[in-house]
Amino acid sequence: MNLLIGLIFLAGAFAAVRAFWPQRQAVFGLIAGVTGATLLAVERAALLTLQFWAGLIGFIAILSALLVILHPNPMVSVLFLILNLFCVALFYLFLQAQFLAAIQVIVYAGAIMVLFLFVIMLLNLRVEEGLHLTGGVQRPAAFVLGTAFAGVLFWAILHRRDRPFLEPPGSAEGFGTARDLGVLLFGRYLFAFEAASILLVAAMIGAVLLAKRRLQ
Amino acid sequence: MRVDFFLLIAGVLFSIGCIGVLIRRNAIVILMSIELMLNAVNLTFAAFANEGQTMTGQVFVFFVMTVAAAEAAVGLAIVIALFRRRKSTDVEDATLLRW
Repeated sequence: MNLLIGLIFLAGAFAAVRAFWPQRQAVFGLIAGVTGATLLAVERAALLTLQFWAGLIGFIAILSALLVILHPNPMVSVLFLILNLFCVALFYLFLQAQFLAAIQVIVYAGAIMVLFLFVIMLLNLRVEEGLHLTGGVQRPAAFVLGTAFAGVLFWAILHRRDRPFLEPPGSAEGFGTARDLGVLLFGRYLFAFEAASILLVAAMIGAVLLAKRRLQ
Repeated sequence: MRVDFFLLIAGVLFSIGCIGVLIRRNAIVILMSIELMLNAVNLTFAAFANEGQTMTGQVFVFFVMTVAAAEAAVGLAIVIALFRRRKSTDVEDATLLRW
């Protein structure tokens, strides 16, 4: 756990270096390589545990999320967002949500991110000169509020009751499969499912109308 | 492994997305930060579903993904319309409704 916290701080420093001096790729790669080699030498026994891999995936997820918001080129941001989505899909596998992991990769990383890439290529955005950050009091306020929000979340998570709110009814066989999800989705949540389909149709028509050059 | 680890990761990801919405001016990056926040919420839903061993949380992840897809489509259409009018994706340039 201490290792993970150290890695997270390292990730923040790396992201800052990478975002504000984009040309120092060699230094970045060197530091990452040295860190990986040290990790391999010191913690070789840990490589077989699930905790280590979860920590590593969490590290990659946080690093890619930082690069999404701090990289000047929107195209690179999209690619790192895809990496982040893959990390979250692996977390779904840890959490016994196999079907969600599959649709995370297919729908999110496959369809929605292609939409983002398509729009960026269509608009032919140039690489911005530096980061276009908001000015005035908003930027420091954003950092302070974001950090404070993270602190409140951490406090709530670390001080929550140990017992889950719902009594676990025993680990069901095949928990998280498409069958379990489908039974709930087409049973108890059928109305919400149909409402979601109407929402998608409305969004599709709205997107076409908004992007149309002129209405007849 | 307890689910607190996943909750902490989701909290960090949500905060990063929140900061991204507040500090960037490029509309597409703001939309991507919103996707980050929705993903963090999805991860929290999945973690609690695993802890309580109930499928309801995963159904909610499904619906959040639907809403995220709709939001991305409409948001990107607005960005295209804005770019056609203003030749920029900077949210500071959209000032018609600003007081």
